[in-house]
Amino acid sequence: MERVIEKWQDSISELTLGAAKESGGTRANTVKIGGETGIYFLKGEDACPNPPVIAMEVWDMEPENWTDALKSNFGSALKDPAEWARMCVEKFKADLICLRLASVHPDTKDSSAEEAGKTLEKVLKAVSVPLIIVGSGSHEKDNDVVVRCGEVARGENCLFGIAARENYKTLTAACLSGGHSIISEAPIDINIAKQLNILICDMQFPPEKIVIHHATGALGYGLEYTYSIMERTRLAGLSGDRMLSMPMINFVGQEVWKTKEAKAGDEVASDWGPTRDRGALLETATACSYLNAGADILVMNHPKAVEKTKEIIKDLCNVKN
Amino acid sequence: MNEFTITFLPEKKTISVDKGTDLLTAAIKSGIHIYNSCGGEGVCGRCKVIVKKGEYITERSGRIPEKERKKGYVMACRTTPESDMTVLVPEESRLGDIEVLTEEAKARRLAGLYTPAERIEEERTELKEKIFRHGPLSTKLFLRLPGPSSDDNCGDAERLFREIRKNRDIPVMQMGLANIKKLPRLLRESGWEVTVTLGNRNGTAEVVLIEPGDRSEKNFGVALDIGTTTIVAYLVDLKSQKVLGAKASYNPQVDFGEDVISRIIYAQEQGGLEKLHHAVIDTINVFIYSLTKEQGLTLDDIIAVMCAGNTTMTHLLLKIDPSHIRKDPYVPAANFLPVVRAAEAGIKINPRGLLACLPSVGSYVGGDITAGILSSGMDDMDELSLFIDLGTNGEVAIGNKEYFMACSTSAGPCFEGGGLKSGIRAMKGAIQSVSVKNGKLSYKTIGKERPRGICGSGIIDALSAFLKHRIIDRSGKIKENDICGTRDAGGVKEIVLVAKKDSAIGMDITIDENDIKNLIHSKGAIYTGIDVLLKESGYKKEHLKNVFIAGGLGTALDIRSAINIGLLPDLPEDRFKFMGNTSITGAKLCLLSQEAMEKASLIANKTTYLDLSVNPSFMNNYSAALFLPHTDIELFPSVKKIL
Repeated sequence: MERVIEKWQDSISELTLGAAKESGGTRANTVKIGGETGIYFLKGEDACPNPPVIAMEVWDMEPENWTDALKSNFGSALKDPAEWARMCVEKFKADLICLRLASVHPDTKDSSAEEAGKTLEKVLKAVSVPLIIVGSGSHEKDNDVVVRCGEVARGENCLFGIAARENYKTLTAACLSGGHSIISEAPIDINIAKQLNILICDMQFPPEKIVIHHATGALGYGLEYTYSIMERTRLAGLSGDRMLSMPMINFVGQEVWKTKEAKAGDEVASDWGPTRDRGALLETATACSYLNAGADILVMNHPKAVEKTKEIIKDLCNVKN
Repeated sequence: MNEFTITFLPEKKTISVDKGTDLLTAAIKSGIHIYNSCGGEGVCGRCKVIVKKGEYITERSGRIPEKERKKGYVMACRTTPESDMTVLVPEESRLGDIEVLTEEAKARRLAGLYTPAERIEEERTELKEKIFRHGPLSTKLFLRLPGPSSDDNCGDAERLFREIRKNRDIPVMQMGLANIKKLPRLLRESGWEVTVTLGNRNGTAEVVLIEPGDRSEKNFGVALDIGTTTIVAYLVDLKSQKVLGAKASYNPQVDFGEDVISRIIYAQEQGGLEKLHHAVIDTINVFIYSLTKEQGLTLDDIIAVMCAGNTTMTHLLLKIDPSHIRKDPYVPAANFLPVVRAAEAGIKINPRGLLACLPSVGSYVGGDITAGILSSGMDDMDELSLFIDLGTNGEVAIGNKEYFMACSTSAGPCFEGGGLKSGIRAMKGAIQSVSVKNGKLSYKTIGKERPRGICGSGIIDALSAFLKHRIIDRSGKIKENDICGTRDAGGVKEIVLVAKKDSAIGMDITIDENDIKNLIHSKGAIYTGIDVLLKESGYKKEHLKNVFIAGGLGTALDIRSAINIGLLPDLPEDRFKFMGNTSITGAKLCLLSQEAMEKASLIANKTTYLDLSVNPSFMNNYSAALFLPHTDIELFPSVKKIL
């Protein structure tokens, strides 16, 4: 019987993150994502030109709510973002670093844009991989900080986040002026995702520099909603919808490590398996689901989960037709 | 002391109320009509009044800015007296005059809202010509009966029937006991010359009335459109088929809530149904009284009333409990209502006169829509047509002579000026069109009066102009621009359309981002309703050969603007046809012709009602439509060119 292989009329835009010396940056490694011409890992449909990549999360302050199962992997590096980033790249083989500027939030340290810029500078010096930079979640403060950080990282072609419908203008302008890419986020609504991309592009932002985030749900915490929206987005993108044919990102670690399954200690959940492994397994399982949904960048936390997911990506991409 | 006197300024109307009665209720009782979109729930903030004297208890609300609070502004619905009070009802809180309008005033005030009677007469020819056989709800027949003799000794009633059958082919006829009792004396005293009034009652003919002599010239009826917002009445000569006069005013039920749902809720309160019923009946009776007076007629000359209204309005007219309309699975008491004596419903015409209502399709698609389809003539057409009622309920129907499908989109009161900061209904002084001229905003008001606010067509025009000139972005957010100033009003950006000094209400007329959001939701609902109907019936918008638009905005709606904002599908403009108030037109047609009434029943019967709340694709399509003109710009190629 002859296998029918779907031919798509369009492809997902290809985006390079990070800039080497000749393109005005200082990165030794750049990362290419997107460029899909079909559904990934579907035998015969797509050759995986750019396999999905993994970014590891680095905070500009020691995360208070992280469990020991997570913290213990990084030790004292948690106190020094540059050291932490270096560890992620050298020891745990992260493709990118996702710097979370948690300390600028008024509810945490309320640190200034100036301080955030300095941290960014240090991290840029410490590692040679491309950077993802996300704010603290406080719109007002993030807008302040992003302008400074966009300036500090000028020419480095970072991926900045997170633009939402209520707050995208400052970020878009900062990315435009600093030559960066942008994460646009809509809460599990394909229409709003598209509307936001239109609004961003209306500011003369190039669509091929947008990465979509549909909000991430951990396994057992609404993952299926995100999954189906991501699928629809990818199919629409491959069918020629220019405002949806963009790479996608998922913040897997951040969501998984909020769940009680990842956090509960051995004493409360003795029959769930040891805490030491549980969270990493859940993170890996969640990450794999998103790989199948079409994710191009996974932002993750636990080194074991990163390692395992990298193997899985390799296996999936090596499936011969 | 548990009773206080409230004095309302500037009328100086006073009323005594119990402690605990809110000022809104007090105002309504004293006949002062104050805006309240939410029905006195403390939500809309439209019922602002200024306390001049007296003690009171009020609920603090974010709806009243600090500045106004200091001046004594309170929300009438949230304020109860603690002593005698004097309260000023400011211009902007007033609903406008509720009294019967003169023909001229009505024409001016409602220009753009409802087409005057004569215009409808003329405009009918624009539509597909459709003439129904003349056969009114009630007909009068002058009869000369041969007197009885030993050769011809049948009873008086049979004699009357026999004579009627000589003129009319009516196999089944009936007559009530009251008429039979009167008959022997009346026939003999009138010298066997009488005029009988035959009423079409539910498939049979009834001798409704017997009068001495020839009164066949005096045969009049009233056509009624009972809208959620407006009530319109036509006095019709049933013989010559001419409209002799028209009246229109607000539906005073708005005092109890602006949309049908809040009124159904109110109807469930103690005495609520009674109050709603009386509010509408009183208005109708005033209309009929003044219409007959103007024409030198008496109430006895009116023998038929035909009413078109949405399902809830029809229920309230007949004092039928509407509560199940808003409860799952949303069924009305009746879609097809029998012809009853008008007196039973409290309508004051000839005591034996009849009242008929146009049949409804379902709980949220009522007789007004049946009337609309009927008067558009789309039920006779081979090609596909669309009918849109741009009112609060936003009903949409699609079909041709084979079938109809209809839904209600709950568009909200935007198109009638509701839910907008400076919104008013299409009345004198309402801004009805907005454009950008020489790099500046310019506007036109109804009746060229000083502006009082913005009506539906004005806000649609404004939005289109804003979008075209990049004053707002495609999500409706106001941008910095060279054409008009923007300012921050309590965290919400707004555009000043008319400065205080130029307005008739002593304050700026503005459009803010919330207004724009409301309008986007309304237009999105209508567009999605159209989209779902097309998809469900397997057609594309290009298949629509005619789009009939009725209701709230009528003649003043700019089609181009409506397409630009994504309210109407992107089709050539010549496919759109305005019909003004099709509800009253349909009621008039049915009053004058039983054939039309039968057609209306047929339409109601063959229309499939689509409940959007259970339609899986509705929500997805709806959120795609909450953008200007739409998330998928390819659906609006003509708008793409100008953006």
